[in-house]
Amino acid sequence: MSLYLRILLILGALLTLWTIAKRVKRNKILMQDAIFWLVLAVVLVIMALFPGLIITLAARLGFYSASNFVFLVVIALILAKEFSNSSEISMLRHKVEELTQEIALRDLQDHEERNDPSR
Amino acid sequence: MRVLAIIPAYNEQESLLDTVKMVTSECPDIDYLVVDDGSSDGTAQVMRSSRLHGVSLPVNTGLTSGIRTGMKYAYRNGYDAAVQIDADGQHLPRYIAPMAQALEREGADIVIASRYLDGTVKPEGARGVGSRLISGLIRQTTGTTITDPTSGMRMYNHRMIELFAKGFDVAPEPDTVALVARKGGKVVEVPCTMRERQGGESYLKLGNAIKYMARTCTSILLFQWLR
Repeated sequence: MSLYLRILLILGALLTLWTIAKRVKRNKILMQDAIFWLVLAVVLVIMALFPGLIITLAARLGFYSASNFVFLVVIALILAKEFSNSSEISMLRHKVEELTQEIALRDLQDHEERNDPSR
Repeated sequence: MRVLAIIPAYNEQESLLDTVKMVTSECPDIDYLVVDDGSSDGTAQVMRSSRLHGVSLPVNTGLTSGIRTGMKYAYRNGYDAAVQIDADGQHLPRYIAPMAQALEREGADIVIASRYLDGTVKPEGARGVGSRLISGLIRQTTGTTITDPTSGMRMYNHRMIELFAKGFDVAPEPDTVALVARKGGKVVEVPCTMRERQGGESYLKLGNAIKYMARTCTSILLFQWLR
């Protein structure tokens, strides 16, 4: 694993931390969603600080080079996050639709009760 | 039997009033509910000025959500059956009565008003190909023959109303017909004719048509086995 890649990982981690800190400060991201990026930054730093660990793991798992293994770890993390985002968007879409339907039905109910005070 | 006609309307200011008048004059003994799906044109004003019975969704959420709004209304007000009538005037209310009779007589869960049951040949071009493909998929996966799976004029019994009102991702589309048929529900068809749309724009443009086919086919072929 080259020194250049290790420096790049550290820079990436710092950039992630800086961006996420800015977002948290400006109330642009929930704490529960910020945690993923914090963990990502920590993973990047670990990979940069302990190349021996990565090289051993990569060799054990049969990777051509340690950097390939690093790339795969990052891609896997991003895909996992993307999948959970997709699922969360589905749930949010469902909830928005449910709420929209309830608002419309409640409006009609209010209207009908106003026009029929005996009920 | 208490029947509710659900009339989903998205930007249908030209044809909505005529459609509702046609329903109330031809079927005086059924109730109707217009669901204005966050229209950006004068649909809501038409509903107000003509005192139509209906609800207005505050934002546009799509046809499935509009139908589910009507299904919740039907479920909470104890209707025995609900039928979808498109606001554009394609669906003729005179077929509601034979659909309701078939629902009761056959004990069906879903009754579809079919344009092809009487032997009418499906149109050439993309529309006919799509319809044949969906018919074939439903026959292969469920053993049930549906001549007009893409007909939007479907009547649902109380069990289906509850499914739509409470379920997750239940769409008024062919994949739900296939799912119900596979789970042992009864789907029957009655013959009908339809008119050309009387105004507004068709939802099925090319991009939407591709999405529609992709969703319908994957749902019937793959995901219904998980549900």
